[in-house]
Amino acid sequence: MLKIILPTIMMLPTMWLSKTHMMWINTMTCSLLISIFTLMMLYLPNNSCNLSLNFFSDPLTSPLLMLTAWLLPLMILATQQHLYNNSAPRKKLYISMLVFLQISLIMTFSATELILFYILFETTLIPTLIIITRWGYQPERLNAGSYFLFYTLAGSLPLLITLLHYFSSLGSLNILTMTINTKEMMLSWTNNIMWLGCMMAFMVKMPLYGLHLWLPKAHVEAPIAGSMVLAAILLKLGSYGMMRVTPMLNPLTEKMSYPFIVLSLWGMVMTSSICLRQADLKSLIAYSSVSHMALVILAILIQTPWSLTGAMILMIAHGLTSSLLFCLANSNYERVHSRTMMFTRGLQALFPLLALWWLLANLTNLALPPTINLMGELLTILASFSWSNFTIMFTGFNMLITALYSLHMFTSTQRGPLTYSTSNVKPLFTRENTLMLMHMAPILLLTLNPKTIMCLTP
Amino acid sequence: MLPRVLSLGVRRGPLTRRPGTLRGGFSLDWEEKLSEIKKKIQSVLPGTSLHPLYDSSHLPPDHSDVVIVGGGVLGLSVAYWLKKLEKQRGALRVLVVERDLTYSQASSALSLGGIHQQFSLPENIHLSLFSASFLRNINEHLAVVDAPPLDLQFNPLGYLWLASEKDAAAMENNVKVQRQEGAKVCLMSPDQLRNKFPWINTEGVALASYGMEDEGWFDPWCLLQGLRRKVQSMGVLFCQGEVTRESELVKMDNSVEYQPVECALVINAAGAWSAQIAALAGIGKGPPDTLQGTKLPVEPRKRYVYVWHCPQGPGLESPLVADTSGTYFRREGLGSNYLGGRSPTEEEEPDPENLEVDHDFFQDKVWPHLAQRVPAFETLKVQNAWAGYYDYNTFDQNGVVGPHPLVVNMFFATGFSGHGLQQAPGVGRAVAEMILEGRFQTINLDSFLFSRFYLGEKIQEDNII
Repeated sequence: MLKIILPTIMMLPTMWLSKTHMMWINTMTCSLLISIFTLMMLYLPNNSCNLSLNFFSDPLTSPLLMLTAWLLPLMILATQQHLYNNSAPRKKLYISMLVFLQISLIMTFSATELILFYILFETTLIPTLIIITRWGYQPERLNAGSYFLFYTLAGSLPLLITLLHYFSSLGSLNILTMTINTKEMMLSWTNNIMWLGCMMAFMVKMPLYGLHLWLPKAHVEAPIAGSMVLAAILLKLGSYGMMRVTPMLNPLTEKMSYPFIVLSLWGMVMTSSICLRQADLKSLIAYSSVSHMALVILAILIQTPWSLTGAMILMIAHGLTSSLLFCLANSNYERVHSRTMMFTRGLQALFPLLALWWLLANLTNLALPPTINLMGELLTILASFSWSNFTIMFTGFNMLITALYSLHMFTSTQRGPLTYSTSNVKPLFTRENTLMLMHMAPILLLTLNPKTIMCLTP
Repeated sequence: MLPRVLSLGVRRGPLTRRPGTLRGGFSLDWEEKLSEIKKKIQSVLPGTSLHPLYDSSHLPPDHSDVVIVGGGVLGLSVAYWLKKLEKQRGALRVLVVERDLTYSQASSALSLGGIHQQFSLPENIHLSLFSASFLRNINEHLAVVDAPPLDLQFNPLGYLWLASEKDAAAMENNVKVQRQEGAKVCLMSPDQLRNKFPWINTEGVALASYGMEDEGWFDPWCLLQGLRRKVQSMGVLFCQGEVTRESELVKMDNSVEYQPVECALVINAAGAWSAQIAALAGIGKGPPDTLQGTKLPVEPRKRYVYVWHCPQGPGLESPLVADTSGTYFRREGLGSNYLGGRSPTEEEEPDPENLEVDHDFFQDKVWPHLAQRVPAFETLKVQNAWAGYYDYNTFDQNGVVGPHPLVVNMFFATGFSGHGLQQAPGVGRAVAEMILEGRFQTINLDSFLFSRFYLGEKIQEDNII
């Protein structure tokens, strides 16, 4: 694990000491090399690596680590345009925020101890907040940053208390030793509150439907790298945390999870329906994130092997797809300076290659077979059907509405008559094409070998 | 920013002693200081504009989807239709920038307020018909919750155009076109004229056309305020400022502060000053006789309006009479007052530098024609006069509507040369449709696009006063 963390830390001096014209190239190359290191985790036996007391890797951890490492070069590619007019120290500051976030994320995903996980979980909030409030586009970003910070913070403070209580009662919060824990959580008021304390932080982060207010604000007001990292990774922190914490909460989860399952089923349908009426492109993608993550919450709370696998695949698939959609929305925004969907219509006539990326992004968003999105959704829906037959109504309806709004997004931006005011925008740069390809290629390749992300022996 | 901060500090020196105050005790204007502090705190709260050091609530927002330059009746009409025709509520963020919120020089406020359908171009006729039906139902269109209904004071007395021998054939043709398009106009011979309007001297008049429905005059200030109230209730932001520099972004000047506004579309509804805004966007910067080098041919022209009192005058039944010489007048109110004027010829064009009124123009150029046409006007007494600008299109005196072929995100709604007010609702709708749908839907204004200046296709309108 050190082979990933140390190079990421060293990216900071690399970037600050590089010349201005080499800055982007250096950071890009460094981050790509680091992501190649994470790919080496695929070749470990059982996907596990337990060489250290503090950091380890696991079939649950390794796909998320790979996603995190893969996303940093993509974020750096995406931000080159909107930082163009900033001075060099400011650009370097921005990239340092991204790198700092990356360090905390890598350490979060590979932490052995739950307290270490918690500390780094909170640490990720700070650079994200700075990115949203300092480099966002509109005055509402202050509001967005506050919502983001305080929702997550308020949710996670009970988690700290709960974790400390468990530490004192169990003796150790090491993830590997929790699996041989024999103490069971019985139904009692204290244990209920303990359960809630553990899970609420992650519910807010996911986000669960009733606690999701921060997400549309934060995603829309954040600059592109902020949106990408929020959608792709930070939401998955919540689900990763849930998956790590639930082994110590058995068998209480069967009883306590019921209201949250209902909320996530209802929230899926509600947020998908909101997507149908959005006029702002980024807002649409943000709400679709909430909808997909509601499926993941559902999967994790049901706690069957199939559903946990489905959750994992959905996490990776959604991370890549959502990030790709945000990059596409950003390429629109940089050309037209407006996020409204009605100003960029009929683009297929003008930019066929861009239309290809939009098509692929929207098809994966609506979980077209044989993409990994479908595999995740399929496993989740099957598991939830066997948990209760009635859930198929919600999940089925959600799949329908997801297809509706994804196609609506596609047809309103690509098909139809071209808007007059976009007829002289520049086509996609090579950098942007690379960005889209680097998002799409993992999705397509993973379709061929999904067992890497299937988390089969957690 | 800095002057503002300083001004709070230097208002009172430390050593001035106000009566009734002790050094270090409560001073008399504690209330004012408290409200200043409260205002400052409010402007720093989350959700408001991100300038923690100073209050920027008077500045426009950093981003807006559409910026409308010019807050007159055309600009407000475009804002209204954009908000009305957007597919989802709140989908578009619209900002209207107006330099002078008192509208002291705006053509909309100084206008005569007439509306008629007696044009020779079908598009103009349709625009006026649309506007007439809009004005008829104005209290349904511009209704705001809890606000009183608008009283437009529409006087439906019609327009009476008089034609001499040589213009009679053209007038007959025009009336045929107008009737075809749906305007209700009738032709009158000199005898019928004398019958209906006994105060007219029909010497030199061969034919007259009289509009019978949807023509007359109304209060333009009421329309302006009604539109303003309505668009503000629909969520359009207003800002007082002047657009000064433009690259991709629109920058504005408020005293010495400026605020760049990032936007996707700019609508030029600046009336008489539209040419300056177009020049900022780079329209006209290029070799002559090319599309880049074609400037926007709209310039301000000063026109005078005189108010006179004549107790023996035409009385209540008088329509807006447009004489063969170009002189026009109409009744104003119920106290035997009349408004009128005349468009000067090219040689006698007054200097549009300021809005000073030339009273000699009335004595020499307007009164003789008035007295000749209406003998009762020989004994009139001028009460008042004002001057206003026409956003005069030197190319063909018709409006410019729609996008520019090269600067694709600037739309025009200007250059109407004196009939902008009456066509404002229609033009607003046309521009909104062009933006939202991509083409004109209700009224086809393809012949009013900018490209006609480059292609040299004039669309001549005969009935301009």
